[in-house]
Amino acid sequence: MNKLKEIFGGDIRQFGMIFALVFLLVFFEVATGGLVLDPGNVINIFQGNSYILVMAIGMVLVIIAGHIDLSVGSVAAFAGIVVAIAMRDWGIPWWAGILLGLVIGALVGAWQGFWVAVVGIPAFIVTLAGMLIFRGANQYVGKSLTIPVPEQFQMIGAGYLPEVGPRTGYNNLTLLIGIALCAAIVFGALRNRRNQRKIGADVESGTVLGIRLALICAAILAVILTMASGRRGTSLPISALILGALVLLYGFLSTRTIIGRHIYAVGGNRHAAELSGVRSKRVNFLVMMNMSVLAALAGMMFVARSNASGPFDGVGWELDAIAAVFIGGAAVTGGVGTVVGAVIGGLVMAVLNNGLQLLGVGADWTQIIKGLVLLAAVAFDVYNKSQGRRSITGLLMQNFGRRSTEETTEKVGQES
Amino acid sequence: MRTLTKMMAVSAVTALALTGCGRADEGSTDTGSGGESAAAGFPADSTIGVSLPQKTSENWVLAEQLFKDGLSEAGFKADVQFANGGVGEQQNQLQSMVTKGAKVVVVGAIDGSQLGTQLKAAKDSGATVIAYDRLLLNTDAVDYYVAYDNFKVGELQGQALLDGMKAKKPNGPYNIELFAGSPDDANAKVFFDGAMKVLQPKIDDGTLKVVSGQTQFTQAVTQGWKAENAQKRMDTLMSGSYSSTPIDGVLSPNDTLARAIMTSVKAAGKPLPVVTGQDSEVESVKSIMAGEQYSTINKDTRNLVKATIDMVKALQKGEKPTVNDTEQYDNGVKVVPANLLEPVIVTKENAKEAYANDPTLSKLTQ
Repeated sequence: MNKLKEIFGGDIRQFGMIFALVFLLVFFEVATGGLVLDPGNVINIFQGNSYILVMAIGMVLVIIAGHIDLSVGSVAAFAGIVVAIAMRDWGIPWWAGILLGLVIGALVGAWQGFWVAVVGIPAFIVTLAGMLIFRGANQYVGKSLTIPVPEQFQMIGAGYLPEVGPRTGYNNLTLLIGIALCAAIVFGALRNRRNQRKIGADVESGTVLGIRLALICAAILAVILTMASGRRGTSLPISALILGALVLLYGFLSTRTIIGRHIYAVGGNRHAAELSGVRSKRVNFLVMMNMSVLAALAGMMFVARSNASGPFDGVGWELDAIAAVFIGGAAVTGGVGTVVGAVIGGLVMAVLNNGLQLLGVGADWTQIIKGLVLLAAVAFDVYNKSQGRRSITGLLMQNFGRRSTEETTEKVGQES
Repeated sequence: MRTLTKMMAVSAVTALALTGCGRADEGSTDTGSGGESAAAGFPADSTIGVSLPQKTSENWVLAEQLFKDGLSEAGFKADVQFANGGVGEQQNQLQSMVTKGAKVVVVGAIDGSQLGTQLKAAKDSGATVIAYDRLLLNTDAVDYYVAYDNFKVGELQGQALLDGMKAKKPNGPYNIELFAGSPDDANAKVFFDGAMKVLQPKIDDGTLKVVSGQTQFTQAVTQGWKAENAQKRMDTLMSGSYSSTPIDGVLSPNDTLARAIMTSVKAAGKPLPVVTGQDSEVESVKSIMAGEQYSTINKDTRNLVKATIDMVKALQKGEKPTVNDTEQYDNGVKVVPANLLEPVIVTKENAKEAYANDPTLSKLTQ
């Protein structure tokens, strides 16, 4: 039992969300007679939710910094319609369309960042206004019509990795990516261990580390193998690949870089952070701007998946993204949360949605259940913290080999 | 390093054990299109997916129950779902229907042109796709279309307008105004064109006079089918063109707009003209019985669902389902074979028999 605790990094209860995810998967797998982990379905879960998860990544940073963004759905829809029209009427190629979308996201983000960071209006108000402004802009630009997008562009939302190389019974590229990812995690962990040993820090026993890494890699390979064994022509969706790349990028940014640590510091205690030399205005501006860029990307991914941009794209997305972030262990007061946590929170919702749909549960009950899950997840985290344990968030980070960062987070969080 | 090797081996083995091995269909040729596989029929207890839009109107709620009952009665496993969360949710629902192995997918789309990827997945799995009530656009992954004949709806509205005015005032000329639906709804133009097929000759020969001169679709549109927009336009028309001239009739594409138009005329202090409508909304049926609105259209959901289920039954047996139109409905990629139902025009005279099967409306017509 003690060994088990060590492997999971202390307290098993603190692994709440990962266990919840596994529990949901097992439960629905049994209840639906094996449909949930069917390769086609696993691919669908990722393809159908990547755009929400991409926004959750931006949203968690916004929430860590102590703000909120209600405009993401409208910004996504606005970027989507402009890109769709630009590609149809101006005939620009798909890659230019994507660039254009990102630029629009950046401009919109700069606008919102200006009001939040420079003028100092609460983000809630600024983005509430943004929600109206950009919804209107979407319908104005698109004249409330649905605009189709070209086939190459659809790849980022509906495409898969191509089939190359010999027939192995799996999609080869997908397999390669999975193996590379596992190798990177293992080498990262080993290098970390070597560094710790070099500076004379305590290192955990090799067996414990080994088993933990084995479990992580098994989970990754299981997902990858499932997707790689989908119907020929389907494999790892491009949208999931984009999501994966963003998780790695933002996971690194938020925990290993100065700007990332500044976000936590500003969200935890703005005055303390400022006195320590953090330029909080710049942090707030960048966080808001980044959110809009990711929202624009999410909007384009959705448009690609839908093959067209419509006047009601993005309605209610902000709530999905925010729910994912809080289920993933972020704190409403700011300063606490992780990118990986938010994505896992989003996956919990996605699996729940998917499982209930497979069971044929109606939309009414699905919403009730999702609401209860959100409440329960946050209540669980609050209870845990009141018991003096670390939040799930901290554990998630620890699990991914970022032990050192998590303590500072907690400290900053407590000061506020 | 020994640990590392062991660990990788454990990971790989666990992962393989978790997922089973490789592609089941590796090497097999791609499945044919739904049309071909449908010709062979499918087991009588198959799952039939029905994906409906938001649960916003009585019609859809009724359709849900009718589909559930009708399909189960026929021996199918019915999987009827609403997409209250919007297009994204409907996409995911369609995907899960495909996962469940649905043989036929009936789709009442929120937005007919945003489901291409999912419909293709359904077709690739061998399912037949039926567009219900709303056509699926810009995709070749749709096999049939079941709906009421919307052009016919327009024709009936135009004819009702003429009949109603004739009953009030045997001889023309008549002063009328034209209203159309929202330009982003593909059906709105169809209604209007149907009505104009009847009205245009009469306008040309001077029997009808559109005093405002606004006879084009783009001039007559009502953004978003919103009552307030129709009311504002009618207010303007009343003060601009009918301050001293009587108005005899108004072509309204549906009941909500019809009531808004009547409100506007009443506010202007003029006698009510003949106003057409559509949808058999409760308030409008009351208004018709009270002698205010002249007509509405009954598109009984029961018949539409029944026609759809009949189509599913035919597909199950491997027969060709009934279609009565193979030219009119071009979705941008292909012409979709359609089974069009005849709408029924309802006035005060025939309301009782028209709503005899409807538990809510039959009470109002007693």
